[in-house]
Amino acid sequence: MRRILNFVIRDIKSGTRDWLVIYLAAAPIMFALVLKMLIPSVGDSTLNVAIYEDTPPAIVSYLETYAKVIEVNDMEERILRMDDVFGVVVNDDKVEIVTQGNEMEGTVDLLKTIVGRYQNESVELPIEVEFSDIGWVMSPMKLEGANLLIIFNTILGGMLILLNLVEEKMSNTISAINVTPTKRKEFIIGKGLLGFILTLYGGAAVITVLGFEGINYAMLFVSVFAISFIGAIIGFSIGVVSDEPISAIASMKTVFIPVLASIFGAIYLPAKWIFILYWSPFYWAYDVIKDILLVQATWGQVFMNSGIILIITALVFVGLRKRIVNGLS
Amino acid sequence: MIKVNGLYHSYSKDENFAVKNVNFEISKGEVFGFLGPSGAGKSTTQGVLTGLLPIQKGEVEVVGYDIRHPKREMFNKIGVSFEQSNVYGKLTALENLEFYRKLFDVETMNSMDLLKWVGLDHVANKKAGEFSKGMKHRLTFIRSMLNNPELWFLDEPTTGLDPAIASQIKDIVKEKNKQGTTVFLTTHNMYVADELCHRVAFIIDGEIKLIDSPRNLKLQHGEKFVVVEHLENDVLKKEQLSLIIDQDKARLNEIISTGKIEMMHTKEATLEEIFIKVTGRGLE
Ligand SMILES: Nc1ncnc2c1ncn2[C@@H]1O[C@H](COP(=O)(O)OP(=O)(O)O)[C@@H](O)[C@H]1O
Ligand SMILES: [Mg+2]
Repeated sequence: MRRILNFVIRDIKSGTRDWLVIYLAAAPIMFALVLKMLIPSVGDSTLNVAIYEDTPPAIVSYLETYAKVIEVNDMEERILRMDDVFGVVVNDDKVEIVTQGNEMEGTVDLLKTIVGRYQNESVELPIEVEFSDIGWVMSPMKLEGANLLIIFNTILGGMLILLNLVEEKMSNTISAINVTPTKRKEFIIGKGLLGFILTLYGGAAVITVLGFEGINYAMLFVSVFAISFIGAIIGFSIGVVSDEPISAIASMKTVFIPVLASIFGAIYLPAKWIFILYWSPFYWAYDVIKDILLVQATWGQVFMNSGIILIITALVFVGLRKRIVNGLS
Repeated sequence: MIKVNGLYHSYSKDENFAVKNVNFEISKGEVFGFLGPSGAGKSTTQGVLTGLLPIQKGEVEVVGYDIRHPKREMFNKIGVSFEQSNVYGKLTALENLEFYRKLFDVETMNSMDLLKWVGLDHVANKKAGEFSKGMKHRLTFIRSMLNNPELWFLDEPTTGLDPAIASQIKDIVKEKNKQGTTVFLTTHNMYVADELCHRVAFIIDGEIKLIDSPRNLKLQHGEKFVVVEHLENDVLKKEQLSLIIDQDKARLNEIISTGKIEMMHTKEATLEEIFIKVTGRGLE
């Protein structure tokens, strides 16, 4: 424990000397602030509804009071596109809602309420009924952006681990540590801890800056902790064989490809194609963090997703273990 | 303190040995030196003995531990100074020592005292990255004695240092040895070996050619020489004559009997001369 702390303090000292730790600590706050500026205000987020040209005008004007309505010829094609557009089809006074399946939860309920109200109360509309999307929908940009930032952060944590290891490799100080009573476990935990702290802190910073209410922090902690391992392991595996930071960072940056692919895939892929992301721990992290942010997650889901993440991480670790162990000696 | 039996090491894990069939023992309180030119296998041997290189073939026992089954705690009793200095450039000299000190479970020496000992106290709070090569080397050197090691490994402790500092380092080694520290050192400098070591091993191409004390080596292998400066037909001549070779002895007699000697002194063979005689190669 004393030695682990010694490593962490050394890394902080060394990292603050060249601003590294400070940059990495400031990054999540900066990103979150930028995102916050980009997020449209509540009133801007709209419900999009696609209808056929021959939809009765009464319904169209009813829907237009709540949603942005567009006329389409090919309903299916329009709905399957990557944005959240619902279809409303009228057959003999029966109104049907067509969804793709990957739309944000809550929005469907909202539309159902609107449509239901229309069917029950006919054209006599309580015009005064207004709704705001607070409590119903969250700006997709805020939701998806926060999720992306939180996961992105885990890679920044891995990057901090990476750079601290590269420093050891560059100065060949690992040899000096290897001739002290330091156990390998202590070294690994000591060198990894700061990365985890940065990741968890970054997640907290994103949540605070963007302002999410009522979320279960314990669930978020467990999920973020689980997904942190993958960045840490990759940071270790690159760090212990690099003796120069530029190329090490370049290698580490490639990890952003699966991260972005998983998250954008999860956002835009139709439900039936989602399975192609199942290999990616980032997908599972995205999946559960989204529900945590929407206050819809259950512990069962948190444990299941974290379990899947840790299993995939373990497989990655088995693959990289030899490289890490060799690099440390 | 150290027992080495039939040690081989190959970096390429084949028959291309950097160290082959090395055998030696070091007893408590001894200063034992590996003397040999660059590439002889000195650092490789130290690497295996300190557990930094894997043991491939042979038996090695260090401070009572079989190096095949090392225990981390054994490093409380060992100090290792590296040929290439390895310190954190972004930390100050003092921070480097303070960080390292906390990695041991035993009582450690005062960092500031050590810095003073090698004349680095005035730069204690300067980043080691701004140090000269010699200063970094001294920092690496004193770091290795923080834990008061029973067994001290010194890889080329004076190489690259200016003579005044080198002699300071030698004094520290002598002083620590007087206090009971056993020392394993490697060097390609015959003066260091001669001055510090109770016994030296001549190593070349990964093999130990002989092990003995510098004094014995000089007695056995080094013929004593006499250097005479004398006047012959009013011309000053300088000759170096062996006291073993008959021809030289006769010549010396002849010079003495002519009685025109200006100066005469005996000269011992140096370790390097003996090294050349034994191995057929020099130390450079
Ligand atoms: N890391 C290494 N990889 C491969 N060969 C090495 C390595 N280190 C040393 N050698 C080789 O092993 C031999 C012995 O080297 P070394 O033990 O460093 O000699 P010394 O310390 O006596 O100068 C040399 O031929 C050297 O080239
Ligand atoms: Mg060497």
